[in-house]
Amino acid sequence: MAGLKKVLVIDDDEDFLESVRSLLESEGYDMVEAESGREGLQKLVQHDPDVIVLDIMMESTSEGYGVNSAIKFQPEYEPYRDVPIIMVSSIQMSPDERFPRAEELGMIRPDEYLTKPLDIPRFLEALRRAVQHA
Amino acid sequence: MDESPHGEMPGVPRRLDPHPPRIVVIDDDYAMRLSCRQILAKSGYQVETFEDGAHGLDSILTTKPDLVVVDLKMPGISGMEVISRVKEIDPLIVIVVITGYPTIGSAVDAIKSGAFDFLPKPFTPDELRLVAKRALERRRLLLESSRLEFEREFLKRRFVTFVSHQLKTPLVAIHQYLEVLERMEDAPDTATKRREWHQRCLKRTDGLLAIIDDWLTLSEIETSDLARRRVSVNLGEILSGILDVYEELAAESDVELTLDLAEDPLLVRGDPNCVSVLFDNLIVNAIKYNRAGGDVRVSGERVGGEVIVAVSDTGVGIPEKYRTFLFDEFFRVGGDAARKTGGTGLGLPICKRIVSELGGKIEVESEEGVGSTFKVWLPVYRDDAGLQAEEEAAARSSDIGVGASK
Repeated sequence: MAGLKKVLVIDDDEDFLESVRSLLESEGYDMVEAESGREGLQKLVQHDPDVIVLDIMMESTSEGYGVNSAIKFQPEYEPYRDVPIIMVSSIQMSPDERFPRAEELGMIRPDEYLTKPLDIPRFLEALRRAVQHA
Repeated sequence: MDESPHGEMPGVPRRLDPHPPRIVVIDDDYAMRLSCRQILAKSGYQVETFEDGAHGLDSILTTKPDLVVVDLKMPGISGMEVISRVKEIDPLIVIVVITGYPTIGSAVDAIKSGAFDFLPKPFTPDELRLVAKRALERRRLLLESSRLEFEREFLKRRFVTFVSHQLKTPLVAIHQYLEVLERMEDAPDTATKRREWHQRCLKRTDGLLAIIDDWLTLSEIETSDLARRRVSVNLGEILSGILDVYEELAAESDVELTLDLAEDPLLVRGDPNCVSVLFDNLIVNAIKYNRAGGDVRVSGERVGGEVIVAVSDTGVGIPEKYRTFLFDEFFRVGGDAARKTGGTGLGLPICKRIVSELGGKIEVESEEGVGSTFKVWLPVYRDDAGLQAEEEAAARSSDIGVGASK
């Protein structure tokens, strides 16, 4: 799979992962999946993806925020700090509503925020932008 | 250290906040500022004084004091203006106005616009201390109720978000399948995918229906009379009925079911449907979260006025850090095994609510790698004669109690 752009998708819903995998593979991406925040961080180090798609509410908690700030602030993930993150959630809120206190909570805004179900053209466009950036 | 500042002022409630109450005094009269500072500082308060509204407000903005004492008649920014600015800065800051007798009418206006009390000049040190004490008590109440209100609102909003997330998740998965399928209409392996995803979609709709059913059960237990019936419920009948229903599931999961009741009939007082839903949930969990070759053991015994039923499994156990959340709505234990086992996250909350409606309790004991035991305490059933005899006995013993205490 050399040469393909690699997408790490972190989401605890295996059906969501399954359909996104088909979509991404048909679009010529290489997809790595993780079903929890912890697994996501492991795979980040193992696979060094070009972009991360991160679900916010995993295991009924807001684990995605934790993953986001771990990548941006913890020294062990420093090499991956600039990997673009696309955050996804089924809760409909604008990034401003979502992250009004981002700074005081020690988080940074994700590069993109999309609601689920994903609008496929927008999702693909966000990925394209992200990998170009990388 | 807890004692210090309020030692001489009994009645001022001790605050959780370790700082002594902070008071800002704004008055253009030097002698007044000095005496207010001395009187209040002597009561252990932290006092700052300012000669005009502008400086006072600057300090209030940054230090957010508990109480502001302000003279109504000052050059520059007026006392009334200070009141309305302080209310803008923080409506929970309590304000007391100082006023000369000729301006008592404006003191009334000040109270209308948000001041808590007024103190006519001249006043004695005790009068100032008393007003300050009452104002700080007011402050404490305001803080307390605002904190409670905030917590309530926060929980309510978080809960609504939470429930909608749980309901949306399966729909999102289904929607995503359908949309990706539509997009990949012409891809070579779409026919295979279509069949597979069709099955997965059906599974997700079933899951969603189960969540909604459980959600309804939960609110029914809370709002209807479902759990208010109090009749004799034969546990042996109910438990063996449930075990029969799940015989097949247990065989598929390679789990052995046993029922062990210390006496038969074992009667509890409650509603048969609720009791049935309760143990149905516990037994299904014990089968689902078990290991191949494991056991589910259901045992019951009567201890005094209660019946204790234990449902034990030989599964992976529940890590200690999760146990306190186990009975919360939509909580699911983390980890692969738990997640792969379908569940609505409402089974145990339903159990807990039923048990508490029936006047019992539920607890879990668990050891990682060994298994978990859910123990339920329910009130034993007594027929009317038994109940009457017991009430009489209780009455007699309370008579004795009263007599003895005399």
